[in-house]
Amino acid sequence: MDTIAWSVAAPAIGSTFLASLVEAVEAFTIVLAVATLRGWRPAAFGAAAGLGALALLVILLGPLLDQVPLHLLQFVIGVLLLLFGMGWLRKAILRAAAIIPLHDEDAIFASETAQLAGVTDRRHKSLDWIAAMPAFKAVLLEGLEIVFIVIAVGAGRGLLWPACGGALAACLMVLAIGVAIRQPLAKVPENTLKFGVGVMLSSFGVFWTGEGLGIPWPGQDLALAFFVLMFLAVGVATASVLRRPVVEVLR
Amino acid sequence: MRIVGDVLSELFGMFVADARLTLAVLCLVAVVAGLVGTIKLGPLLAGGILLFGCLAIIVEAVAREARARGQR
Repeated sequence: MDTIAWSVAAPAIGSTFLASLVEAVEAFTIVLAVATLRGWRPAAFGAAAGLGALALLVILLGPLLDQVPLHLLQFVIGVLLLLFGMGWLRKAILRAAAIIPLHDEDAIFASETAQLAGVTDRRHKSLDWIAAMPAFKAVLLEGLEIVFIVIAVGAGRGLLWPACGGALAACLMVLAIGVAIRQPLAKVPENTLKFGVGVMLSSFGVFWTGEGLGIPWPGQDLALAFFVLMFLAVGVATASVLRRPVVEVLR
Repeated sequence: MRIVGDVLSELFGMFVADARLTLAVLCLVAVVAGLVGTIKLGPLLAGGILLFGCLAIIVEAVAREARARGQR
């Protein structure tokens, strides 16, 4: 891979790695809640079924990507990335400015465990599949975002495999650490990661949308670095200007 | 069937977290596409409108949410 290709490949791998880290942590929290209350068997079954459903979706929809002309693909993916990335960035800025509370994995773990305990008390029979459902849904729904990011970041320039590698590395890392410590991964700086991913996805969105519209970016791939700096600067500045005292948010 | 509903709702939420932000981005892209297609706007100007339009939209969306939450 030459230098220019790395200027796009590195952000693509980095984006999918960081985004997958966030999503995998969220999914793992729920799978862990299932495992803690009902054992690892239904948790692993639900997670495996979720991964299977995701794989099926990719196998069914993946070949369709080859049928779409490149400019149209870049345009559609660019617009979707803009919507998705700017949504993440908006939320991350609001959290960084303490306008909305931070994502709390410990609280989610406690709430999920309480819900599962309620279900367990009501229905003692057919517990395994009932317990497996939250794990299945968590992996499927969080995984959908990972699949979208991998396709969106990778498909425009034939970087699907590097993007997949970034996502897979993040998922394996979360799994390895999670299984080792058997606690919610609450110490992951989730909002910082989301901020970074929002910045990168929004930048990719502007880049692909422009390419799709036939805009030849000055500096070609290096324009992406400029977009990242602009989104980062504006995001950090907006969060600083709007920052509220934490006490006010907790009220 | 509930799982299908959950998947669709997740997909919708992925792209429409804030309806006004979504609408503003779509309008901006449509305007830039129109300008590029009709008056053959130069790449630097078209790209600039797209980039700075997105930056303005994100600032407006965050400021609007901050105002709304400040009023509650």
